[in-house]
Amino acid sequence: MGDGRANNPNSHSNNNSSSNKPEWLEEYDVIGKIGEGTYGLVFLAKVKSNRSKPIAIKKFKQSKDGDGVSPTAIREIMLLREISHENVVKLANVHINHADMSLYLAFDYAEHDLYEIIRHHRDKVNQAINPYTVKSLLWQLLNGLNYLHSNWIVHRDLKPSNILVMGDGEEQGVVKIADFGLARIYQAPLKPLSENGVVVTIWYRAPELLLGAKHYTSAVDMWAVGCIFAELLTLKPLFQGQEVKGTINPFQLDQLDKIFKVLGHPTQEKWPTLVNLPHWQSDLQHIQGHKYETAGLYNVVHLSPKNPAYDLLSKMLEYDPQKRLTAAQALEHEYFRMEPLPGCNALVPPQPGEKVVNYPTRPVDTSTDIVGTISLQPSQPVSSGNSVSGAMSGSHVMQTRSMPRSMPMVGIQRMQPPGIPAYNLSQAGMGGGINPGNIPMPRGVAPQAHQQHQMRRKESGMGMTGYPPQPKSRRF
Amino acid sequence: MAANFWTSSHYKQLLDPEEVDVVHPLDKERGITLEDFKLIKLHMSNYIARLAQNVKVRQRVVATAITYMRRVYVRRSMSEYDPRLVAPSCLYLASKAEESTVQARLLVFYIKKLYSDEKYRFEIKEILEMEMKILEALNYYLVVFHPYRALSQLLQDAGMNDATQLTWGLVNDTYKMDLILLHPPHLITLACIYIASVLKDKENTAWFEELRVDMNVVKNIAMEILDFYDSHKLITDDRVNAAMSKLAK
Repeated sequence: MGDGRANNPNSHSNNNSSSNKPEWLEEYDVIGKIGEGTYGLVFLAKVKSNRSKPIAIKKFKQSKDGDGVSPTAIREIMLLREISHENVVKLANVHINHADMSLYLAFDYAEHDLYEIIRHHRDKVNQAINPYTVKSLLWQLLNGLNYLHSNWIVHRDLKPSNILVMGDGEEQGVVKIADFGLARIYQAPLKPLSENGVVVTIWYRAPELLLGAKHYTSAVDMWAVGCIFAELLTLKPLFQGQEVKGTINPFQLDQLDKIFKVLGHPTQEKWPTLVNLPHWQSDLQHIQGHKYETAGLYNVVHLSPKNPAYDLLSKMLEYDPQKRLTAAQALEHEYFRMEPLPGCNALVPPQPGEKVVNYPTRPVDTSTDIVGTISLQPSQPVSSGNSVSGAMSGSHVMQTRSMPRSMPMVGIQRMQPPGIPAYNLSQAGMGGGINPGNIPMPRGVAPQAHQQHQMRRKESGMGMTGYPPQPKSRRF
Repeated sequence: MAANFWTSSHYKQLLDPEEVDVVHPLDKERGITLEDFKLIKLHMSNYIARLAQNVKVRQRVVATAITYMRRVYVRRSMSEYDPRLVAPSCLYLASKAEESTVQARLLVFYIKKLYSDEKYRFEIKEILEMEMKILEALNYYLVVFHPYRALSQLLQDAGMNDATQLTWGLVNDTYKMDLILLHPPHLITLACIYIASVLKDKENTAWFEELRVDMNVVKNIAMEILDFYDSHKLITDDRVNAAMSKLAK
């Protein structure tokens, strides 16, 4: 893409009907599945011509009959094709399989993400993240965000699993903001996500949105960065509200309650436009009736109010979106001018003698084939005759990576035997290797008993929009 | 990029007229001349606009769809990419890119209503397949900047609010040509304002001079638009039909 190599105008490479495997796939050695989300699957692959360069291939779910390419995919491609920044994920290529009308985005692969890094420290090494690493991660995240915002792009779905960090190699320890499925150019006011029927995690959602603000601004991303900063410091999500499901109403009382408990009650003096927000007005009884104790953010993050880190954090978590710190302002903050200074390799501190944490690599499920896996989902009618037979050609999958080490279960939502779709999770979780819907499964994707307890379903891999794990199912 | 035209893919992809006015060898074989080529693209631009009226999408979606269609034929032949299918498919793709998705079945419904001619009939599946081919032909560059964006601000600045409707109409008509592939959109806006000034007898020389733009380019674009209006008078249905008949189905 872009270099003309993969998009030879005269090539009709994908029209070859004798095989279900599109020709472009020959460029890659597909290693296995590394992620799964609402919009599809993510695979790890290597470019045959350059084996040292791993690639994450995001396969979009084939659309339901009659919808064509999903608007989410269109917007993600549209934005990614225009942007270029060291702290934003790089779209390396786009591919189409015309035979089954599926679309693939190829990204430079990032081995880690903040979700896994935080989890590793919390559950494995039981130790805070090195201050140099926290600061470097935050600085780079803000640097990427500043680029996006100065180009009038709001991400709208920042959360730890969407913030990737490069593993070994030239770009080791470099942060890459990923997942632009919900991102928008805001030259025109943006409609609330709920109007598009989109649901995103509420833990990182700004209070103005929870109170029904009609339009998005870049300040919503800064709130999310504040939440992520606190999580890097404490290894715990800052505001873990219980989500009310199945409503398009953005009002989430429990999430607001969690925020108010830590930051205190917002007031009109501090936030003048507060009274104009729909849910502030309509839900007087719940939100305005309850009186909260005085603010205790510094207690939650264990920082002295005089600490510059605390000052920066509290300015990102400012209630009034107009007063909230911008990414550009945050980069200028005193915190980043103090030792340890942020660096471009966030994972390896420049000082010799500092302990380097070895983060685990992403588990790879080598039993799922890249071609024709998605329409196997039983709850979705198989729309393309090619998909099932396509999945049979799974023999090229290589077992070059060691099997993932066994991971402690964080919650059943994150565990999934390969080949069994999320829809059947409850049954799959209980039934082990059984095939709940009695769906005929091709060899390549059949669940394998020995893998089930090792395989961990990644909600959100490289560049992948995934729903966050349900708060209920997370235990910390 | 998204906000800055000068770093956008749109800017990087601007073409010279010699690159746009090329009839694909496969189309030449069918006897399609450069005139035919332009006529068919004009006809398809009108088709997209009519279809858009029926499914009720904003002018910006129409403009993006026409831009996609014109970009497709810089690289692809009409023989392989039937304009009668490409046009509605471009509208379909543009509606998604501009966040006002139109259902493919709705398009199919209105196509039937607009044209009794069998050659315009396509199934939903064919539109979806063409959508992907168009994505590929566009090399996945989907962000398009339009002359509308700067229009009202510039008109106000020039003290020409009374000419809004006239200028808006002029801008609409520029999509009947390939101007959007050739020039930065704000220069197209200025060319339209320039024409409107002349038509309205509004003395605007000083205002144009204060803008730091190359007035020669603006005047040349204006001349192209006026030339188009002249030649447009000579376009008859028969000529369009003759050009269209060279496309096989």
